[in-house]
Amino acid sequence: MSIGVVDVGKRVPKKLTLLQRLYIPEILRGMAVTLRHLVQNLIGVRKLPTIQYPDQRRDYSGRFRGKHILKTREDGTLKCVACYMCAQACPAECITIVAGEHPKIAYEKYPVVFDIDMLRCVFCGFCVDACPKDAIWMTRNYELAFFSREDSIFSIDRLREQPEEIARHGYGYRPYYPGDGTHPPTDASVAPVVPGAGEREALRQKGEPLPDRTPGHGPLNAPSHAETREASEPSPTGR
Amino acid sequence: MSTLVAPSLSPAAEKLRERLAASPAGGNANVVDADLPVVETSPESWPAVARLLRDDPDLRYDLFLDLLGVDNLSRKGQPTRFEAVAYLHSLPRNEHVRVKIRLPDSREPSLPTVTDVYPAADWYEREAYDLFGFDFPGHPNLHRILCHDAFVGHALRKDYAPGQRWYCAESDLRIPDWARETDERAGHFETQTLSIGPAHPATHGIIHVLARIDGERIVRAETMIGYLHRCFEKMSEKQHWNQVVPYTDRLNYVSAMINGVGYVRTVEKMLGIEVPDRGRLVRTILSEFSRIMDHCVCIGANLVDIGALTNFTYLYQNRENIYGLIEACCGARLTVSYVRVGGLSIDVPEDFVPRCRRLLEWIPEFLRDVDKLVTNNRIVRNRLQGTGVVTKEQAIAWGLTGPMLRSSGVAYDVRRARPYDFYDRFDWEVPIAQDGDNFARYLVRMEEMRQSLSIIRQALDIFPEKGPVNSDDWHVVLPPKDAVYHDMESLIYHFKLVMEGIRVPAGERYEWIEGANGELGFHAISDGRGGPYRLKVRPPCFPSMAAFEKMIVGGTVSDMIATLGTLNIIAGELDR
Repeated sequence: MSIGVVDVGKRVPKKLTLLQRLYIPEILRGMAVTLRHLVQNLIGVRKLPTIQYPDQRRDYSGRFRGKHILKTREDGTLKCVACYMCAQACPAECITIVAGEHPKIAYEKYPVVFDIDMLRCVFCGFCVDACPKDAIWMTRNYELAFFSREDSIFSIDRLREQPEEIARHGYGYRPYYPGDGTHPPTDASVAPVVPGAGEREALRQKGEPLPDRTPGHGPLNAPSHAETREASEPSPTGR
Repeated sequence: MSTLVAPSLSPAAEKLRERLAASPAGGNANVVDADLPVVETSPESWPAVARLLRDDPDLRYDLFLDLLGVDNLSRKGQPTRFEAVAYLHSLPRNEHVRVKIRLPDSREPSLPTVTDVYPAADWYEREAYDLFGFDFPGHPNLHRILCHDAFVGHALRKDYAPGQRWYCAESDLRIPDWARETDERAGHFETQTLSIGPAHPATHGIIHVLARIDGERIVRAETMIGYLHRCFEKMSEKQHWNQVVPYTDRLNYVSAMINGVGYVRTVEKMLGIEVPDRGRLVRTILSEFSRIMDHCVCIGANLVDIGALTNFTYLYQNRENIYGLIEACCGARLTVSYVRVGGLSIDVPEDFVPRCRRLLEWIPEFLRDVDKLVTNNRIVRNRLQGTGVVTKEQAIAWGLTGPMLRSSGVAYDVRRARPYDFYDRFDWEVPIAQDGDNFARYLVRMEEMRQSLSIIRQALDIFPEKGPVNSDDWHVVLPPKDAVYHDMESLIYHFKLVMEGIRVPAGERYEWIEGANGELGFHAISDGRGGPYRLKVRPPCFPSMAAFEKMIVGGTVSDMIATLGTLNIIAGELDR
């Protein structure tokens, strides 16, 4: 295999021939090219690249990186456990999360606030890659115009997965695709909770010690991520 | 009795040491081996060393590639706070060298200019002055270049806090002295100053050209850039290694894929990891498609500027179709963010190869039509032939690379000079032309597209049907999602990577590839944290733009428009 050098200047004669300089034959030759395109487009030999938006829409692939959605469990609660991984992975620093302690022990934490600033978002998909809980996906919805800056901050209400939105636009970039062999994580709403299924508040009222939950997790009484975050110095990036 | 044995040097570095030692100019210069041969010198002897490196018949480093500043304030083990790093390339010997100039600690670090040795150093020195506050005594036009004139401080110094805002009023804009004076010579009409841009349809992006015109002829010009400066380098210092990838998309946004590949290659070399063949082939194929897009945009827009609109629609159909392919791979058309350190964000779709092959059938049709319409068209010939001429000597002196350099008769293509990925396994040719005018650049770009098609065809022939696209090093690449969901160890790897970033060993590295406009280099410095300590991109159109104000002198204003089109200025990478 070899990489050669070719002098393209020698291929094309520097001086035009008399016929070419007369210009009329060249015009006709050019007209033939454009006319061929016109006819081909008219009779539909070639698919026209122009899209009559909004009557027609571009057919995007199933990997399109559009508006985010927050996935829900079977019982309708958000899969998000407010671990801050997406906020950390975001190069545009557009995700704001405030974590809360979920009353149901199996769910541990949940996002009290989950805001995405769509004016800052660069739609890189890093949040989807970063999520360990299969909680954030993207859709093919790219029509995100708004009238004010306040409207650009999408909160949980607008991010929660809505069947109508999916029916209209379809899923986009996501952590796994049908048929790639990935098994989604077990839904915590159907997972057994150890010990018992007692609610945290009920135990507190009774004055009983709070139990460890599902095996393999840390102690329940540890301060939440949100608390330590507030207590610590603000990060240099000002987040 | 013990003798001190100096560590043995590579042949290239050994030769450098010999030549430097033989000359009085290179007296106190020191040569070490790193990823490249490195010459360490002091500011006082830098011009003499530069002259020696350029003129010595055994060295002949004739192409000035880059000059950048480094602030070592929070980096351990460095003798001085500031250093300037220059990159030179020897065309006859096909070798890079890094020159490191350590600046003695002072409030105003300064080093002599080398613009008289390498004219290409002009804008690079202005950039180092702007962003680091280095003084270059003897520089002909030492003003800010990327930041505006009302900017206070030097943005890339480590003690400059990001997030400060400086307001620039119109009255703050610098107008060169020559543009204020009127010139009334006997027998001449008074020459006048014409301001073209910043927002002018023909300036492709936001570029300000200030020209002194005598009738229709340009007698003097100065280009002002920086209107699209987004502090790419400063922001990279705040990000993890992978988080820089979306920023690189916005450098040359016309061929975003190539930037990403160039950047992650640098990091991968620092880490010493290899990407599987399939992953590298995907990168190669999509990079070549991006190169085609870039040339389509350049030629199409250039022809629009000189009045040939139809070609634009033909060439943009190619671009449209390629965008469809890229979107199917990564989910975005323009800002692809497809590459990751160690591989790709996701494997290509199943119909990748057939889709590529379909594109390979479509694209030549449009190229043929453009060829028919343009190449022998008298108007196009009159506008492009003999305008914007750059001779071979000028091209080298101005540090041009890519199609600009090749159209002046120098066959320097990084893919040939230092084949990376699979380029040495393919049969292809580097197109060159001798004239150095706008028409030669058009011809070179047209041929490069055909060569890219040939490269893609050969890459598809050896494209493995199945296989990994990512390195399996989980210290670098996110583990597969299935493992993250169900395996604690994978989850820990995942967590460490997302929260702390990739731990790249401390050190520095310069890696360069062939971008659509020329040599695209990334100089990265790591201090062992999860993100870059300093990241400098060598944007290929920066030297072209620096040369622009010299190229257009003597031509007419309409030639200037045609010339600007063939330079292929992408403001995103020019201003960073």
